[in-house]
Amino acid sequence: MDRTPEIFEKIEGYLNNTLPKEELLAFEKEISNTPALKQEIEKHRSLHVTLSDQDTLEFKEKLVKISTEIKKEETSSSFFSLFWKIAASIVVIFGVGTLFWYTINNQDQTQELYAQYYEPFPVEDVSRGEDDNALQDVMKSYRNGDYSIVISELEELPNTIKKDLIHLYLGNSYLNTNQEEKAIGQFESIQKNSQYYENTRWYLALTYLKLGNPKKIKPILQEIIEYNGVYKENATQLMNALTK
Amino acid sequence: MSNIEDRKFLEGILSGDEVIIKAFYKKNLSYISGYILKNSGNEADVEDVFQDALILIYQKLKSDSLELHSSLSTYFYGICRNIWRNRLRKNKKMVITEDVVHDEEGIPPEIIEEIAQKEREHVYRKHFLKLSNTCREVLGLLFQGNSMKEIAHITGYSEGYTRKKKFECKKSLIEMIEKDPAYKELQLTPEKK
Repeated sequence: MDRTPEIFEKIEGYLNNTLPKEELLAFEKEISNTPALKQEIEKHRSLHVTLSDQDTLEFKEKLVKISTEIKKEETSSSFFSLFWKIAASIVVIFGVGTLFWYTINNQDQTQELYAQYYEPFPVEDVSRGEDDNALQDVMKSYRNGDYSIVISELEELPNTIKKDLIHLYLGNSYLNTNQEEKAIGQFESIQKNSQYYENTRWYLALTYLKLGNPKKIKPILQEIIEYNGVYKENATQLMNALTK
Repeated sequence: MSNIEDRKFLEGILSGDEVIIKAFYKKNLSYISGYILKNSGNEADVEDVFQDALILIYQKLKSDSLELHSSLSTYFYGICRNIWRNRLRKNKKMVITEDVVHDEEGIPPEIIEEIAQKEREHVYRKHFLKLSNTCREVLGLLFQGNSMKEIAHITGYSEGYTRKKKFECKKSLIEMIEKDPAYKELQLTPEKK
C-alpha cells in the first residue's frame, strides 16, 4: 500500500483515539475491507509500543557505544603489546617477576598452539614436465626438511612456473628457518583468485601465531572460517583456543 | 543465588553504569563470540545476540522479574544461546553444530518463549537508533503519545515542518525495518502474540 502523509495521520489518529467519531467509523469500515491497511496499522502499533520504551532504547544505545569502545581498544592493542614488552623489560630490570611471567606465559601459549597446529604444506605431485625437473629436486630437500637448501634453490628459480606453489613452499621454508617476516611476504603475495589462497591464509595465520600476535590472527581465521573450506575446522578450533 | 560480583553487575546494568556494563561486556564477550562463530554466525551476529540478551536482562531487572537460579554468567550464556538457536531455526539455511535439544541451560520455557516474541523489538530498536537526531527526536515524542502541536512546541520546529519530518522519518524507519532480512524471516513465520 502507498505510504502517504494522509494515511499516516489517520493511522496515528486511530491509534491515539483522536479521530472524530464520523471519521473513525468510516476508517474502521475501510480497515475491515482492506487487509493491507490492517497490516499497516499493526506495523505502526508495534512500532509505537516498542519504541515508546525510552529506557530500553537508551540502554541499547549505551551498549552500542560500549561495544564500539571495546572494538577500538582491541585495534589499538598492538600498541599495548609494545607497551607490555616495554613494561616487562622495566619490571625485569627491577627484578620483580610477576608481570614478566605473565607476558612470557602468553607467548608460551601461542608457541604451544603453533606447535600443535603447524604442519608443513605437503609436497604436491608436480607433473613431470621438463621444466619441473628442477622443482622435483627441490621438493626432495623440502620433504627432508632441508629448508635452507630449499630457500636457496627456490629463490633462484624463474618465477614463471607454478608461481603460487613456489610462494607456499618458500613461505613454509622461511617459517621453518625463523624468517617469519619473509614468510609473511610470500604468503601475502598470493592473490584471492588463486587455488592456493585458502592454504596461504592458513599459513599466514600460523605465522602470526608463531610471532605471538593473536590480534592479527583473528581476522584471518575469521576469513578462513567464512571461506568454508578444508581449513575451516582447524581455524574454528584455533579461534576458540585463542579467545579462551 | 548471587555472589558479590553478580550483585555488582546486576546493579550496574539496572542503573546503566557504563563502567560496570563495560566490565560485564568484556568478561563475557569471548565466550559468546566463540559460541556464535562456531555455529555459523559472524561478528555482527555476536554483537546483536550479546546486546539483545543483555537488554532482556535489563528489562527483567527493571520490572523486578529476574529470577536467577544460577550465576549471572550461566544465565546470560543460556539466554544468548537460546537467542541464537532461535535465529538459526528461523533461517533454516544455517546449521547448528551443537546438539540443539540437549541443554536449555535451566532457562525456563516461558523465557524461551519471550525470547522469540522479542525478536521484532530488537529489529525496531536497531534501526531507530540509525535515524538522524531530528528524526529520533520527533518520532520519540510521537511514540510517547504527543500530538503534532505538542511536538512542535517542545522542539521549537514549526508545526508544518514537524508534520513533514514525522512522515518522512517514520516512512524511512518502516522501510529500513522491512528491508532487514531478520525482519523478513519473522514475517514468514509470525510469532503468536
